[in-house]
Amino acid sequence: MIECLLAEVTAVQVPAVGLGAMIALVTFIAASVWLGTVAQRVVEKSSFIQGYFQGNRGLGAWTIALTATVQSGGTFMGFPSLVYTSGWIVALWIASYMVVPITGFGLIGKRVAQISRRTGAVTMPDLFRARFGSSTAGLVTSLLIILFMTIMMIAQFKAGATVMKLAWPGSTELALVEDSAGDEKVAETSASTLAQWWKTADQKYLLGLAIFSLTVVGYTLIGGFLAAVWTDLLQSVMMFIGVMILFVLALKATGGLEAASRAALESGGPDYMLGPGLKGGSPFLPLTLAISFFFFWPFAGTASPAGVVRIMACKDTRVLRQSIFLLAVYNMGIYLPLIAICICAKALMPHLDKPDEVIPRMALILTDGLPLGSWMSGLILAAPFGAIMATVSSYLLVIASGLVRDVYQRFGNPQATDYEIRRLTYLVMIGVGAVAVGFSIFPVKHLQMLVVMSSGCAASSFLIPTVLLCYWRRATAAGSIGAMLAGGGASLVLNLIGLWRAFQETGQFANFQPLYLAGLDPLLWGLLASAIVGVGVSLATDPPEQRLISKLFDAPKG
Amino acid sequence: MPSRPEDPVLVSSRREAVVVFLIWLAACLYTVGFSYAFGYGRDPATLRFILGMPDWVFGGIFVPWTVCTVLSYIVARYVIADDDLGEDMPEESLGSAASSRREARDD
Repeated sequence: MIECLLAEVTAVQVPAVGLGAMIALVTFIAASVWLGTVAQRVVEKSSFIQGYFQGNRGLGAWTIALTATVQSGGTFMGFPSLVYTSGWIVALWIASYMVVPITGFGLIGKRVAQISRRTGAVTMPDLFRARFGSSTAGLVTSLLIILFMTIMMIAQFKAGATVMKLAWPGSTELALVEDSAGDEKVAETSASTLAQWWKTADQKYLLGLAIFSLTVVGYTLIGGFLAAVWTDLLQSVMMFIGVMILFVLALKATGGLEAASRAALESGGPDYMLGPGLKGGSPFLPLTLAISFFFFWPFAGTASPAGVVRIMACKDTRVLRQSIFLLAVYNMGIYLPLIAICICAKALMPHLDKPDEVIPRMALILTDGLPLGSWMSGLILAAPFGAIMATVSSYLLVIASGLVRDVYQRFGNPQATDYEIRRLTYLVMIGVGAVAVGFSIFPVKHLQMLVVMSSGCAASSFLIPTVLLCYWRRATAAGSIGAMLAGGGASLVLNLIGLWRAFQETGQFANFQPLYLAGLDPLLWGLLASAIVGVGVSLATDPPEQRLISKLFDAPKG
Repeated sequence: MPSRPEDPVLVSSRREAVVVFLIWLAACLYTVGFSYAFGYGRDPATLRFILGMPDWVFGGIFVPWTVCTVLSYIVARYVIADDDLGEDMPEESLGSAASSRREARDD
């Protein structure tokens, strides 16, 4: 998506737009760095761990609502392409976002916020360690989080670098071709000498990677949690403005949604208007998958480590309540118009070769000739870049807090001072950033495959254990560890079977689909396995210490 | 039975979680049910458009989405209770033990 996004700008359309996109990117970068420095001033006022990783539990409704459950840039980027390809049925695919605001904050939000305060927990592993009085439970949580999030984060570095590269004003229409060829060249010559390597390397990509990495690691390192949250808020608001502008322009251009729908029916056929829809020749959303996705969006996001940390950081319950409504309005205002925009796109340009380009193309066509048109399209084109930065930034923090607080401080040096922790945190962030950069220069084959698997496994690992932690007195450390491993494991197995089948059929791992056992998404089987193992193992092991439970489940004395 | 009464925040959160879960369940049953009944395998000639959407999208997705947004307001305003989340513990037992040791050393 991102590759196409700016290749489009530089390759096909008016050159002035390329400049607009670059200016928008630079503005995003400058704003993020500025937010980083502002955040640093806030952090300085408190103890390092609390301030840097948690923003002193001071998040208000806007920062919680628009950043805690909006998962990553991917949600906004792949979705338009899907609507363009498969039509109105995608509205059903995404429909469960109607309940995401209430489930995201209402299921576990208040309890998580309370327990984290009562135990002084700063990270998600802290929660598990404190609730079960078990350092093993904390360690398993942090290792799983570090594993999943590192894999997901590395892919984002490459995406960010590619956007930078393609936004370069001098880029030619060969940009996309060069990109894929460049990767292989880099990989092939990695063993040869440095000078030779530099000559053959894709220098624009490397420059983009350098700028992207320095910026993201830089502002995250300076400002910590607050910097990550504020950048995220900034891009969410930008995205909303961009979608609103496009929505109005698209309806104007097509003469209304009904006219667009009818035109789309002409070119897309009846499958474009009805269930289960088509994608690549097979049904897009059979009934079982429609049900699966009603589980997927609300529950995969609810207990994601980056989201839970933000809920822990909320100021009070009022903030949680306001967040619910704010996010409800935001979701309705962004997803329904996005669907309409893409239906209009099908009416205006029925035969796009690369459906991924649908939003950038609409942005370019619709703003052409308008006053400030190139600025508007620049903003819309740069928004995914902002989303990538925000995602990397929040993952980086979760990984760093995992390594520093949950591993080093617990098992290495419990007596570490604030100064030592701070120094180590900076080192870890630079180290993790360097590893991600390394993987982006010498790409691992099949990284995308690993990304798909780890996001699937992460989604089914943490929900059930977190619910048990919040509401069930009898849950034990072993039970929660079992629930985590069973949830992630079940999802992994179904993904691996899908991978194996794809390899059998096509000889390749690319574009594999997990095994949809009984037609249902692996997440559902993961959650089921997680619940059975979590409850079963808890009942089979000794009840947790009364002292620990009482502290979190009984009314405070006096 | 616990000797002390349950924590009030636990009681209210659990009640709210049940309400939220029921809303999710109702939304799921209605949205998927309606869309499946009126949007799957249908004769395209019978399609009507409401607000520019195919009728099944309007009834099966747009209407419940609007209802859920209103419900979000009602739940946030009237169902979820404001509670005192309690004082923030400076750090966990292990950490505080360490820091008190450190303070002792500094003295």
